[in-house]
Amino acid sequence: MKDQVAVIGVGCTKFGDLFELGYEDLICEAAFAAYADAKIDPQEIQAAYLGTYMPGASGGKSAVSLGDALRLYDRPITRVENYCATGTDAFRNACLAIASGTYDVVLVLGAEKLKDRGGRGLPRFGHPLLAKGNSAPGLFALAANRYMHTFGVGRETLAKVAVKNHYNGARNPKAHLRMEITEDKVLNAPMISYPFGLFDCCPTTDGAAAAIVCRADLARKFTDTPVLVKGFGLAVTTGRPYFDPTFDYLGFRSTQQAAQQAYAMAGITPQDVDFAEVHDCFTWTEVSNIEDLGFCAKGAGPGLVHEGRTALTGDIPINPSGGLKSFGHPIGASGVRMIYECVTQLRNQCGERQVKDPEIGLAHNVGGPGAVACVVVLGH
Amino acid sequence: MVGIARYGSYIPVHRLDRQLIGQAWGARQPKGEVAVANYDEDALTLAIDAAMGCLGDPPVPVGGVYVATTSSPYAEKQLASVLATACDLPRAIVSADFAGSARAGVSATLAALRAVQAGAASAVLVAAADVRVAAPESELEGVLGDGAAALTIADRGVIAEFVDAASVAEEFTYVWRTDVQRTLQVAGGRFSNTYGYGRDLGAAIRTLLERQGLEAKAIDRLALYSPDARAAAELAGSLGFDVKSQLVESLQSQIGCTGSAEPLLLLARALDRARPGERILVGGYGEGADVLLFRTTDAIAAGRAATPLDRWLAARTPLSSYEKYLKFRRLVEVEEVTDVVTNVLEFKELKQDVRLYGSRCRECGQVQYPMARVCIKCRVPERLDDARIGRRGSVFTFTVDHLIANLEHPLPMVVIDADGGGRLYLQVADADDIAIGAPVALTYRRLHEGGGNRNYYWKARPIREA
Repeated sequence: MKDQVAVIGVGCTKFGDLFELGYEDLICEAAFAAYADAKIDPQEIQAAYLGTYMPGASGGKSAVSLGDALRLYDRPITRVENYCATGTDAFRNACLAIASGTYDVVLVLGAEKLKDRGGRGLPRFGHPLLAKGNSAPGLFALAANRYMHTFGVGRETLAKVAVKNHYNGARNPKAHLRMEITEDKVLNAPMISYPFGLFDCCPTTDGAAAAIVCRADLARKFTDTPVLVKGFGLAVTTGRPYFDPTFDYLGFRSTQQAAQQAYAMAGITPQDVDFAEVHDCFTWTEVSNIEDLGFCAKGAGPGLVHEGRTALTGDIPINPSGGLKSFGHPIGASGVRMIYECVTQLRNQCGERQVKDPEIGLAHNVGGPGAVACVVVLGH
Repeated sequence: MVGIARYGSYIPVHRLDRQLIGQAWGARQPKGEVAVANYDEDALTLAIDAAMGCLGDPPVPVGGVYVATTSSPYAEKQLASVLATACDLPRAIVSADFAGSARAGVSATLAALRAVQAGAASAVLVAAADVRVAAPESELEGVLGDGAAALTIADRGVIAEFVDAASVAEEFTYVWRTDVQRTLQVAGGRFSNTYGYGRDLGAAIRTLLERQGLEAKAIDRLALYSPDARAAAELAGSLGFDVKSQLVESLQSQIGCTGSAEPLLLLARALDRARPGERILVGGYGEGADVLLFRTTDAIAAGRAATPLDRWLAARTPLSSYEKYLKFRRLVEVEEVTDVVTNVLEFKELKQDVRLYGSRCRECGQVQYPMARVCIKCRVPERLDDARIGRRGSVFTFTVDHLIANLEHPLPMVVIDADGGGRLYLQVADADDIAIGAPVALTYRRLHEGGGNRNYYWKARPIREA
């Protein structure tokens, strides 16, 4: 699987409260940018994968949403939904489709229009009685509190993650929240779900991102700067960790397993990774992710944060894009947006937020929370 | 021997200082507090909490359940069956609700005594609870309080033997609530206390004492419902009782008048203190009166409630404002949390969601919730048995949510390890905060409304019991 698939073009909308744009506008902007980047005629696309978590009034239910937006008809399109791993899983499916030999060129597009709903946060689905009262921040907070209790970590550590990601995002023209913040601001923000205050939480965001993948041996027909897919992994664990009496709540097995699969496929170790876009839906999640991805031992994440090793100038820059925290989190788009960031970094096109000469980048989503994780490793 | 085998009580944690009511309306109020059911509590949930305390965990077997209340959350729907299910009692039992007046608690106890005497059941649970609502600025505001009591009547293991009963039934307009009124109406005062309450309850007490050939001084403890703070003392005095030594001390300055639960709470207070061989007389009133005479046995010392009433009285959280009380009782407009539980889902998951069963793996022994077909630990399929989840546990982890749809914030949510196994994820009741390791008790509460119905589920609350 390694090096059989190449990314030949990427595109990404501005992320934010895009009140004047519709779901189809987002798809078009991301797709057209990717077409231009790959210098490809849309008719050359043989198949497509659409990642959308939550269908809304303006689209997202089934692959038709992508077909109609782009008038991309008469070919296979599949909608992927896998919680917050939706975008990276759509990308993974596209890679498999090419590696199977069935298609040469495939479009991956993640799009999410959360702001048409009005209101705050994400709507909750599921059982009317069991786990009632859960929320995305509330579910991750269960893990954060157990982790912080076990390892003696305070909210100040979490705040440093937010400050660092906002610093990076402020240097990213496409980011949703383009401002630097201070630790005090994080710690004094209104509480959402303890220990997460407002600035411990990523925003809900509108946005879309696209990637065009093709057989690696054909990539040079389209671009001089193809980025190769080195490996990927996807792991599903329980979607109801709060009912699992064996769960220690100190990290997510889905991330650990998905990362192992991806490293094995890529033939690398975590120490070979030069930077990573990880799923920082909440500040604590990033701390746990860097442990689950193997960049350090379980419980050592706070040390990396305090030592600045995850900053742009650190030895393992995490979320140079600003992450979900600052770039925003249009759920189905986020994974593809991470692919966009990895490709752009690997091409050395990131300007102020450019990581120095990276060879290997990693994209990671975890959703559910902890139920499903997807890891993609990209490189030269 | 037929009599009381077990008893328990439950007082909601919140107290409303009468001075807050006085301040709200610019009027004088007597000193003291009333107990206020939380926003997610009602007469059904209070009765279940009292019943769980009385029955123990797992519950002692009973062949019948009688629930008494004048403030059912349902005009039509039997509470006794709901209570029996939440308490995980067998299906093949007798059940009935007693309602209509605050006498219902004593009436239900009398009916239970007669049923056990007749051999219809060897044990019957009686639970009485009320959350009666007074109109804001009315004379009953500051008088009514919320609470519940439960007891089992049985033909063995008796701590207080049933001796005799007397009843009176005659129309008298004292308190009432028509089928379209939300708040209790009252024609109180000295006239009603004398010619309604005093005349009826006094007649029943005199009849019973005469029939037993007893003088007033032969009664050790007099547990009398009182429609206001003074009526019972005045009646007892007029009947020749020594109020100070014989009348069980009123609860009304601490929790208000708790309606159908009050005489049984006073009975609980008497049983908490009684020595063997004492005579306890219990009186209920409302369109007549029921009076019961018990005599404690040698078993009383070992058979007292695990949690004495005094403990429930002491475990109190003052409400920060009168407005909180208005919100709890929906006397101001509130936006209810909405969700629908179809009767299909309720039926299918009754054992899991209401009786609160999970599964135990025959291979590895792991208890897990909800009920499963494949073990979450050893992953072996179809080797799981139904397992009752214990009603207490400790907090494994938590959050305190400030935004999720709910009537009150902050709302703590907890993942708990239940005693005996099983991990649950529940909302927290009666607390703004919670910590890892905190012991909790499960309580059946109103969760939301939808489809024109109210939906209940288990929550975790800090343990206030002994």
